[in-house]
Amino acid sequence: MLNITILGQVVVNGISLSAIYILVALGFTLLFGIMRVVNFAHGEFAMLGAFALYYLMKDAQLPWLVALPVGVVGVAAASMALEWLVFRWFYQRMFESMIGLLGLSMMLMFGGVLVWDVYERNMPAISDEVLSLGDVILPVDRLVVVVIAVAALAGFYLFIRHTRAGLAMRATAQDVEIAETQGVDTRRTYRTAFFVAILLAALAGALWGQIYAVSPFLGERPLMMAFIVVILGGMGSIPGAALGGLILGLTESFVGTFYGAAASAFLSFGVVIVLLIVRPWGILGTPEA
Amino acid sequence: MRGRALIAVVCTAALLGWPWLTEDKFLHHVGVLICITAIAAASLHLIIRTGHVSLGHAAFMALGAYGSVLVMTRLGLPWPAGLAAGTAAAAALAAAVGPIVLRLAGKYFVLVTFLFGEVVRMAIVENAWLTGGSNGIFDVPPPYPALLSNRAYYYLALGFAVFGVGLCARLLACEYGRAINSIRESERLAECSGVPVNRVKVTVFIIACALAGMAGALQAHFIRYVGPESFSVVQSLNLVVMNVIGGMTSLPGALLGTVFMVTLPELLRGYVNVQQILFGAILFATMAFIPGGLIEVLRRIRGSLPGARPKEADVADAVRGL
Amino acid sequence: MQQQLRSAALAAALMLGAAAAAPAQDIVKIGGIGPLSGGGTAWGLAAQRGMELAIEDLNAAGGVKAAGRAYRLELIMYDDQYTGQGGKGAAERLVNQDKVKFIIGPVGSPPALGVISVTNPAKVIALTDGYAPQILKNDTPDPYNFRIYNTNIEFGPPLIKWLKDNVPAIRKVALLAPNDAVGQSVAGPLSEDYRKQGFETTVDLFERGTKEFTPLILRMMAQKVDAFEFDGNAPGDAGLMLKQIRQAGFRGHVHQIGGPAIDEIMEIAGPAAEGFMSYDIFDWDTPAGGRLRAQYEKKYGKGIINAFMPAFYHAVFLLCESIRRADTLDTNKVRAALETTGGYDAGIYGPINWVGKESYGVNRQLMLPYYWSQVKGGKIVKLAKFNP
Repeated sequence: MLNITILGQVVVNGISLSAIYILVALGFTLLFGIMRVVNFAHGEFAMLGAFALYYLMKDAQLPWLVALPVGVVGVAAASMALEWLVFRWFYQRMFESMIGLLGLSMMLMFGGVLVWDVYERNMPAISDEVLSLGDVILPVDRLVVVVIAVAALAGFYLFIRHTRAGLAMRATAQDVEIAETQGVDTRRTYRTAFFVAILLAALAGALWGQIYAVSPFLGERPLMMAFIVVILGGMGSIPGAALGGLILGLTESFVGTFYGAAASAFLSFGVVIVLLIVRPWGILGTPEA
Repeated sequence: MRGRALIAVVCTAALLGWPWLTEDKFLHHVGVLICITAIAAASLHLIIRTGHVSLGHAAFMALGAYGSVLVMTRLGLPWPAGLAAGTAAAAALAAAVGPIVLRLAGKYFVLVTFLFGEVVRMAIVENAWLTGGSNGIFDVPPPYPALLSNRAYYYLALGFAVFGVGLCARLLACEYGRAINSIRESERLAECSGVPVNRVKVTVFIIACALAGMAGALQAHFIRYVGPESFSVVQSLNLVVMNVIGGMTSLPGALLGTVFMVTLPELLRGYVNVQQILFGAILFATMAFIPGGLIEVLRRIRGSLPGARPKEADVADAVRGL
Repeated sequence: MQQQLRSAALAAALMLGAAAAAPAQDIVKIGGIGPLSGGGTAWGLAAQRGMELAIEDLNAAGGVKAAGRAYRLELIMYDDQYTGQGGKGAAERLVNQDKVKFIIGPVGSPPALGVISVTNPAKVIALTDGYAPQILKNDTPDPYNFRIYNTNIEFGPPLIKWLKDNVPAIRKVALLAPNDAVGQSVAGPLSEDYRKQGFETTVDLFERGTKEFTPLILRMMAQKVDAFEFDGNAPGDAGLMLKQIRQAGFRGHVHQIGGPAIDEIMEIAGPAAEGFMSYDIFDWDTPAGGRLRAQYEKKYGKGIINAFMPAFYHAVFLLCESIRRADTLDTNKVRAALETTGGYDAGIYGPINWVGKESYGVNRQLMLPYYWSQVKGGKIVKLAKFNP
């Protein structure tokens, strides 16, 4: 069964899966690393991003290149209201955040059902074309997803490493009290982190909706995957999220193709459990003092 | 003291007598569920008191449920054997994984128990030859034919609930409980003071998971059907929510949370299309504005009652000590 | 003057009082159970909406008549969360608190088994769905439950035979199914049915929630299958599978003996749906179908209609026809009347039949007419019709 066509497809699928997982995981780990918030509603922000893109393309008739940034930024901006209403009660409170945001997740998901009904919708594909490199078939829409995810990751990395806001975020993540004494405006840092996290989630959701389909339940699977990616890579570690996403996507693709879905699920979980026991801070995380 | 004894008598009478005040089998059904869930929530509370939140508690309920059902249906043994087998299976699994996972700190423990719960569920789904897979096992026999009535089952469940919750309360109130509290406050310090930290944590974990298995077995023979979807992360999360919403620091909190989480969906049933939204809103509001949990609300109410001061002090102390 | 005003007011009050005291119309409550949260919400809503529309229509036509009285119908719909205890809890509440005698639903097997454990001892009629054979085939001494939707045990073999006779190119079939109650009930037996008719099969079950099927598809393609079979898959998943199958370059046949979900599959797969064949059950192109669609869209907005909706709409009509025939609300007589409704045509699906004696021991399985349909040129074309 091992031939170049299959192998090529397995790799491409794995990487495009990884790309989306990384985007979702990044926002999730940002919220945890900086605000110690476990955002159980993260998948729902991805769902909102998908619906935003869907309606901008369908009703407003915007071309994809415009609709994507407008939709994604729009969702992040609108979510700042939720930041003020909901999230700020839970900063630095891990358990309360878990359950409070679970409540938010239910509100958003079933609010979505009320507004948009349950059935799955299709978004016009980015492109129906297929690239053929010899025997390897590469759907163009998957490649675009990979390119965008890589661009987002790079942009995010630059932001974190080379801007004052990013520096403030890293400081707050390390130690909130000391950061405050050093003059970091934690409130503003939290808001910035929130905006960026939701931006990434909405982008992931929009791309996910493009490749698969859009429904109010869209967010469940990406959230579950984000959880696992973050565990793999280390909570609060950005390179970890990237590595974790890559590992999970490729494993799902490889093992699923050659050994079937059940084996893939068991293996992913088994590996993560072993990792948690042996090296709980993840592959690239740092052990806590 | 007289006051407390009176309250105890009234409560006991109420618990024992209310099923005869109504013929509504649905209310009996809810009563049974509250008793069974209270056992699971209280046993999770034990684990939480050692400083670890388990997101896989429903997996141990599953072991108890399937263990008991399989022993009764495949081996034809009577119910006490089934119950013992289920509880023992849950305890055995806890003994096997406990020493490994309890070494992990708080947030990692949460994650590994979450994954572990999923693995157990997937194992149930994959092994249909034993467990019936996703379709489960139906026509599970009741413990005894007389227990086909909801009201009768209530007394069975109540008995086990008193046993289970009582065991948890006893454990927390005695010397062992102080060891547990010291571990939660600071493991290193407890270790230095001579507390055998790992032994205590593992023992508590095994007892708690065995109780969860017991609850699972009781549930299986009540619903008369077992299926993997009843023991997923949703159920584990519900148990955690019960503890957090009731109040993580006290056992009465876990019981309060149980009553809250079992009855609230029933109260919201009428709002067919928005019930999930309302439920989510209530979860959020409770966590945001009543961080100490519902037990905090009770304490505040009791504190503001006139003339309650002297007794309030030692009752509150006792409650806090639990 | 004041005296006159006062007596006029008194007279008016008396008349209003008389009008208000006019006998309130008798009500028959129908209990509805379905998944209104979690992954099954689409089916729960379909059940609820189908029943709501049927009740509207029946009430507009005067309600249901029995023993000389006209009853208005009312729906009480509860969520079962797709679990056994959810089904039992909903049934307990409906039977014991709301005192209903007729329940329609639930949709899935786990809750259905929970429901019938409550309704059968209570002599409440339950018109359920759910693929597990044990719903009809069990040791209950005096069951009051019926199944109101075709299952693959009934329609599988004839459809497979049609494939064998009409599409000889298919020799090896790949079955993809989720790991849930439906998938595990359907995939095995359907694969057996294929083998009995001489096909080769390969089955793979995936974790429900997966959206990326390409690994599985590649795996199947490597085994040189001629056709993909979607059996009991959810509409959204089937649509994605079809899209990804074509993207992977597969040129063979794709069909579904299950569902149906042709509208949703066409919506999600777009042009990739061309040539897709499916079991089909409701003809939206008839006048009755068109009217139902218009009615649905007026109340719930434009959107894809889940194929279960007409089945639940139809179930209410079936129930009311049985009440009419029995001329009473007594469930023993209504049950007997239900068993006589073979051949009855509610104007929705055409004439129905009750089957199942060989498979389950009782003729309590509803059989509706069904079709093989195919997507041709963006439209659904019926290739063959199978009568019950």
